[in-house]
Amino acid sequence: MNAENVKSQMRKGALEYCILLLLKKEPAYTSDIIQKLQEAKLIVVEGTLYPLLTRLKNSELLAYQWVESTQGPPRKYYQLTEKGEDFLKELEISWQELNETIAHIKQVNP
Amino acid sequence: MKKTLTVNLGGSVFNIDEDAYELLDKYLTNLRIHFRKEEGSDEIMNDFESRISELLGERKRLGYEVINIGHVEDVIKRMGSPEEIFEEGNPHAEKDIPLEEEGDETGKKKKKRLMRDSEDRILGGVASGIAAYLNIDPTAVRLALILLLFIPYIPVVIPYLILWLVMPLAQTATDRLIMRGKSVNLQNIGKSVTDGFEKTSAQINDYISSDKPRTTLQKFADFLVTFVGVLLKVFAIIIGIILLPVLVLVIFVLFIVIFALFAGGAGALIGTLPFIGPEINFITAVPTYLTVLGSIGAILLLGIPVIALIYLLCGKIFKLSPMPNPAKWILLGLWIVSLILCLVYAYHVGYPPHWGHIDWLPWSII
Repeated sequence: MNAENVKSQMRKGALEYCILLLLKKEPAYTSDIIQKLQEAKLIVVEGTLYPLLTRLKNSELLAYQWVESTQGPPRKYYQLTEKGEDFLKELEISWQELNETIAHIKQVNP
Repeated sequence: MKKTLTVNLGGSVFNIDEDAYELLDKYLTNLRIHFRKEEGSDEIMNDFESRISELLGERKRLGYEVINIGHVEDVIKRMGSPEEIFEEGNPHAEKDIPLEEEGDETGKKKKKRLMRDSEDRILGGVASGIAAYLNIDPTAVRLALILLLFIPYIPVVIPYLILWLVMPLAQTATDRLIMRGKSVNLQNIGKSVTDGFEKTSAQINDYISSDKPRTTLQKFADFLVTFVGVLLKVFAIIIGIILLPVLVLVIFVLFIVIFALFAGGAGALIGTLPFIGPEINFITAVPTYLTVLGSIGAILLLGIPVIALIYLLCGKIFKLSPMPNPAKWILLGLWIVSLILCLVYAYHVGYPPHWGHIDWLPWSII
């Protein structure tokens, strides 16, 4: 059992949740999402995100439109769909439950 | 001085050094292989390309007229290697487990197969296939073949042609990995592609064979082999049709023999064997159990090749799958055991104490 391994598994598990959370408030360019996730140390390399975003889009949790940027060609501008919002609500509940469980365990076995 | 290329990446034009281009091309090819099974793989690749285009565009704005290999390395570092991307992005992938979600059974086979190498061939690729199988240099095999050609009484041409007919052609990257006995997983396919085993320009998504331009000699030889192969197949089918009634008869006789053995014991059996007349009643000279064993041995000794032959013919005609390997080994083992049984029996029958020396009996039994 390797601590790094477990930690990276935890991060991986939270990645989708975090992407949905980031887009909950406002739509964003792919590069913005990448930047925020890298700041939060949730991903190391950018390449991780493109397949993930496409997967989320294909599950109709996200949608995008092409928006002109200040420089260069138009870029994808991602936003949460209604289905995505419902999905996020579910995830938030289970995240809450997980937190409570951990807090409870900590309390019982200090 | 360096040669540069002009590429269109994600809608922008770049001048790029040749070595930098090679690296970028390999990188994108590897990614494409990684995501080829994923839904929306084209879209993912487009995302990658437009992002790389953005990153390289920044360099252009900084005043670099030509993208060099350092820039590409930086970009790849930033985007991540295919392994990193897969490792980080797939929450369900366990570490250190090779990716074998290929679905086809070749994914798990590490076994080597004798195949002809389509990428490294002078005539049929037999020599390079043998070399890959034995893990030696193909040139050594070719030299040995040519040397053998000059030694009289060694008909090297015939086995070569037979091997050419029998050995399948390794056409795809997957085939070539199997040929070399390497496990078929994404890393290896990627490696094999980046090593130049396969032309990357071909449609990577479905691994269609990369048809190298072939020489006229190869084309002619290919045609000849295909032609001979078709002839042989037709011949085999005709033989099969002719032989089928005979084989059915043989099986019928075998059934009768087996039935006789169980019903009437060994004595009845001796009467049914065509080459031993009932007048030679040597049965008394040999213990009964030995006679029974010997008879079973004889039936198996004749029956197994017959059944194998029938199976082979039926397989050729009706396109059945070949017999599984364990079955082959069991049959071979049974056949050897039956041979030994027969020899033991023949020895006892052939040299009963009061008969003295009889030469022909053992052979007539077998």
